[in-house]
Amino acid sequence: MTFRLTCPVCGKRDVYEFTYGGPERGPRPAEGDAAERADPGAAAEAHFRWAQFRMNRPDPREEWWYHGAGCGVWFSTWRDPATNREARPGGAETSGNEASGGDSS
Amino acid sequence: MSRLPPSSTERIDRSRPLGFRWCGRALEGFEGDTVASALWGAGVRTLGRSFEYHRPRGLYDLEGEGSSQLVSIDGVPNQSAGTTPLREGMAVGAQNVRGDPRFDALGFLDRLDRFMPAGFYYRLLHRPAWAARFFQERMRGLAGLGVLRPDAADRPGAVESAEPDRAGAVEAAERYLHADVAVVGGGPAGMSAALEAGRLGLRVCLFERRPWLGGHLDWRVRDGRPLAGEVSALADRLGRMESVRVFRHAPATGIWGENLLTGFQLAGPGAPLDGERREWHWECRARAIVAATGSIERPLVFEHNDRPGVMQADTAIRLARTYGVRPGAAAAFSVADDLGIEAAVDLAALGVEVRVVADARREGHDPELVDALSAAGIDFRPGWAATRVRGRGRVRGVELAVRAGSGAAGDPLRVAGDLLVASAGRQPDIGVLSCAGARFRHGERTRTFELERLPPDVFAAGGVLRLTDLEALTCSGRIAGLQAAAACGASVGSPLTRERARLTDLPGPARGSSIVRGPAAGRRLAPGRKAFLDFDEDGTWKNAAQSAAYGFDVPELAKRFGNFGLGPGQYRVPGQNLAMAMAEIAGRPAGSFPATTVRPPVIPPSLATLAGPNHDIHKRTPLHEDQASRGAVFRRAGPWLRARYFSADRQCLEEIRNVRRNVGLLDSSPLGKFRIWGPDALRALQRVYISDMTRTRSGHCTYSAMCNDTGNIIDDGIVVRTGKDEFYFTTSSNRAGVTVEWLRFHTRYDGWDYNLVNLTDALASINVAGPNARRVLGKITGADLSDEAFPYLGCREIEVGSGVAARCLRLGFVGELSYELHVRASYARYVWHLLWEAGSEYGIRPFGLEAQNCLRAEKGHVIIGTESEQRVTLIDIGMGWLWDREDTASGKVGAAALRHCEGQSGRLKLVGLRVDDPAGDGGTGTARGVAHRPTARDVAHRPGDGALVVDGDRIAGFVCTTRHSESLGWQYGLALVEDRLAERGRSLDLYESLGRRTARSTATVVPPHFYDPRGQRLRTAPEGRPRRSGEPPSQAAPAAHRRSPVRFDAVPSRTRHRAGWKVVLDYESDRAPADALRRARLVDLSHRARWDVQHRDIRTLRPFGLDVPGRPGEVAVRDGLMINRMNGTQTSVWHVGSGAAPTMPDGPHYTDTTDSQAWLALLGDSVPEVLERVTDLDLFEPGRARPFLIQGPILRVPCQVVTWRRDAVLLAFSRGYAPTFVEALLEAGRPAGLRAAGERIFADSVEALDTGAGLGSIADAT
Repeated sequence: MTFRLTCPVCGKRDVYEFTYGGPERGPRPAEGDAAERADPGAAAEAHFRWAQFRMNRPDPREEWWYHGAGCGVWFSTWRDPATNREARPGGAETSGNEASGGDSS
Repeated sequence: MSRLPPSSTERIDRSRPLGFRWCGRALEGFEGDTVASALWGAGVRTLGRSFEYHRPRGLYDLEGEGSSQLVSIDGVPNQSAGTTPLREGMAVGAQNVRGDPRFDALGFLDRLDRFMPAGFYYRLLHRPAWAARFFQERMRGLAGLGVLRPDAADRPGAVESAEPDRAGAVEAAERYLHADVAVVGGGPAGMSAALEAGRLGLRVCLFERRPWLGGHLDWRVRDGRPLAGEVSALADRLGRMESVRVFRHAPATGIWGENLLTGFQLAGPGAPLDGERREWHWECRARAIVAATGSIERPLVFEHNDRPGVMQADTAIRLARTYGVRPGAAAAFSVADDLGIEAAVDLAALGVEVRVVADARREGHDPELVDALSAAGIDFRPGWAATRVRGRGRVRGVELAVRAGSGAAGDPLRVAGDLLVASAGRQPDIGVLSCAGARFRHGERTRTFELERLPPDVFAAGGVLRLTDLEALTCSGRIAGLQAAAACGASVGSPLTRERARLTDLPGPARGSSIVRGPAAGRRLAPGRKAFLDFDEDGTWKNAAQSAAYGFDVPELAKRFGNFGLGPGQYRVPGQNLAMAMAEIAGRPAGSFPATTVRPPVIPPSLATLAGPNHDIHKRTPLHEDQASRGAVFRRAGPWLRARYFSADRQCLEEIRNVRRNVGLLDSSPLGKFRIWGPDALRALQRVYISDMTRTRSGHCTYSAMCNDTGNIIDDGIVVRTGKDEFYFTTSSNRAGVTVEWLRFHTRYDGWDYNLVNLTDALASINVAGPNARRVLGKITGADLSDEAFPYLGCREIEVGSGVAARCLRLGFVGELSYELHVRASYARYVWHLLWEAGSEYGIRPFGLEAQNCLRAEKGHVIIGTESEQRVTLIDIGMGWLWDREDTASGKVGAAALRHCEGQSGRLKLVGLRVDDPAGDGGTGTARGVAHRPTARDVAHRPGDGALVVDGDRIAGFVCTTRHSESLGWQYGLALVEDRLAERGRSLDLYESLGRRTARSTATVVPPHFYDPRGQRLRTAPEGRPRRSGEPPSQAAPAAHRRSPVRFDAVPSRTRHRAGWKVVLDYESDRAPADALRRARLVDLSHRARWDVQHRDIRTLRPFGLDVPGRPGEVAVRDGLMINRMNGTQTSVWHVGSGAAPTMPDGPHYTDTTDSQAWLALLGDSVPEVLERVTDLDLFEPGRARPFLIQGPILRVPCQVVTWRRDAVLLAFSRGYAPTFVEALLEAGRPAGLRAAGERIFADSVEALDTGAGLGSIADAT
């Protein structure tokens, strides 16, 4: 398997230069006292959903990547995990290509 | 000798005979021969035995398509005889043979085929249960081709050899290429495509699998006229084109995501020997790919179609035309296309007696060729095909018959002869196209699976489209070349239209035949019983029919059930035939099933080539050599090599004793060390550390931990405030590499203004530990070390020796008085030697990881990952006191999870253990740790690391670390156990599985602080009067010196001392520098000053009074400084000039990184050639304004690379990697002429580089 990602600083590079940071899921939910007192269970549930729960749909999605072997910058980018190709924000693929790599039997 | 008279097409040099050995016999071939042609030319007919039935196999193809022609060469198994060039003195052996290949002892297996139907092994040989193991062992003994002797040598790919100097001949290397257009195939179409793209100025790489260009025109002769002349002009023009690189003898193995084309290249006539290497891997990242892979023959299936003497038409004609070898004395042909007839005509002209030519087609033959056949008096039989071969060990005769529906079924024709040229026509070579995701569909006209749809930016041309006309081939090549250029953004409009129009007027794809199997044979054999679809695993027509009968009735299922196309032949021998055969068996039209998927490698390289050079790139501390000289045994810890023991005693009793009673030295340099500053630095620390970081203060080490979002402890270390908004912190060695990433990730939404520098490699860390630590340190520093001035957990900036700055931390991980000195890495050896000398009167000695592990566990200090794991939180291991639970505003990572699970029951808790002593010997017996091999005596009694805690029949935890302690006199342990078992005084059952035996023991829960539980030894120095402030160091200090991490294995001839560094200006090897820059030189610049500059608005900062380039990747050179823009907030500044380096400006934004990184210069004309062997970064992209900065991996090490010019590249990378990186770089670059050189050559070059003059002028001047 090989695909490439576009680092906003360094340009297109092989994926092995990057570390995956998971799908975009927004900032960590605030751990406010009020929320705790009102319903501790709900606060824990909210944290659990944010920290652990992933839909894993094979649809284009926004993801975080870290260019550890390069410039050392975190960035978010859109990618279609079904084809490993970069996608336009919102989901459409940048090119109407299908999967390459011949891994379908 | 069965050589033909010389002909103009041959590629052998008859004046240069080469001797070689075949199964022990001395034979002779010629320079230019392959192993296969030399063997056939020497009269060898049986090259090996088949995989399953041990049938004799000859030479079927010359392209390395199947396992039949695999041989062992110089002890290396599974070499392709068809493609490996013959070398003098080669020892070639047959494979899968017991005895001589002609009389194989296992040949009887051929008669047992009725007991080995398709899938027999999996269906039959597993019942009864005991039989499965019996058969498994027997089958393993029989299965497999070739014998590899992994114990023969330790080099990759090296195996035992009859001639010792040839062992390890398969040395593998790699090359990373960059192209706008990559062309696979150097026939007329591929060359035309490369020319078109090259003419437009694009970077083109062309890969040809054979050692020469021209494709099938290279050997074809028509009407006595060689066709090679038609394309030699194309090859000449390609050779002259600068933007086109041609790789011959370089088969492609696959196309991967986003046009990554991979393959390998073989040394031989097509490619010069690359050092000692015989084969090397290449990969080419291309914007567009043209596949001009041509066509290959589709095998004709009939009874005994694998007998030695049956061969493809290409094989027969190439043996004769390329190698001058007579393929046989008397031949029959059963072919299905015009190329087959052409081969018959040409062979007859060369003097081979051709007795009959059967053509499966009834009509549509080239009339010229038919006329030529009759002129030569050859019996031509349209509508006929081979039925079976007669002869046991080799072809002795052939039976031909009329195909069904081709007129009256007369008697079969029997022809005697030793050669049967058999072919079912041609199929496109779809290998790499299929890997790229192209789709194929069976075509009615060509009767093959032809291209239906191409993936983006991949184009096809020539024979792969089943074109045969020369004009059409070159025209389709030009079209593909233009299309590929257009995909790279070139403007190609009108030429493309013109070529397309031209192609429509030229002959289209050739008509093919649908024949798969010869007409029905006599009644003596079951249909298809010895008719092979797959030579690699002996898959017959009958096996295919059996697969279908079992319900595995489509090609992809039959492929797996009956083992078709799983060998090296893959899509070539069985590939399209299997799909057509399955259709025929099902009684459906030929195109009913798609061909099976092709997988890379479409042509198999050796495993050593795929494995690559496998450089062991790791980090070494600056004290590596000093420790090695003291007998250190090293182990890998993350990227580092660390000293584990200093003696053969795996319990390290002496090392431990010396720390407890005296003083020891530990190299803890891999410890993570960081500097963070900026208005939001504290907020960032508050986010990732679990404690209240506002309480950190200067001069004091605050211990804290980091958690992840599930509350697991992942890191611990100390934090010291070093300025208003500036902190220094340490992490565990394992986390050093990911700490920057971690901090940035968890603050990525906040937009905070803080800067972070990793100083792990920049600072060495030396731990002086033991009751005498203060006395030793006192001898080398004037600083006040008294308990009042420098208490436990203090942090002081001190000077050691002759003014070397050290940050000194008074810590106590091992439970004794100890000082941790963080000094610049280049001074590390100097300081180590100072301490060593100062400590000699006390008997100072180094200690390693294992001693440290025992010492800290005795103290009850945890190591994360040893005493913690995914199920346990900070609270579970008893460190909940670190958590600032009142802070809900900072968004501390892990706080929510800690709050959620702190009250849960049933969790694992960390407890101390006192292991009960069943022997009653008071613990004088041998204790056992991970490092200690259990002996029969102590196994029964003493648990080791990882022993399970059991509660009845349930697992209720495990022992993390346990050792016998000399200080305590008993065996202690740290264990994670379920909370209900964690109360003090509870007895625990321990269970261990030791191979076939199990051991049980018991232990009692005690508090996890065994040694000095109140920490008195850490807080007060035991004895002696501490020296007071102002007193000079008692030991006279030698002048401080600094060491570069780079050490070349060359003899310096001229050196100079510069600011503590010993700089090598010249090496002995530089004495003839005239041609130095014509090749490549590696210069160590690590002693030159570098700085890291970070600022939110970096352009306003104007470091060193210089303008910072506007965009990341841009580089400016001014006043002897090179300033590299790294990203939005960061630049590096390198001192490249000849004058003195400027002093670092004041202010937090600057960090001296001279000690952080090794810095190298690569100079000379072959620098690009060196670098393409070690990195896939595109460092020489045309059109990019130089110098420019690329940050990326070289030899998998993250580097900052500045391409100053094509012949001058600077690179900087983490200092610890320097020793192994430089070694690997010099090794990889040796074939390109890379050698080490002194600094002078760089100093001489800088001016020329700066002014844009060529380096060549320097080379000329010297």
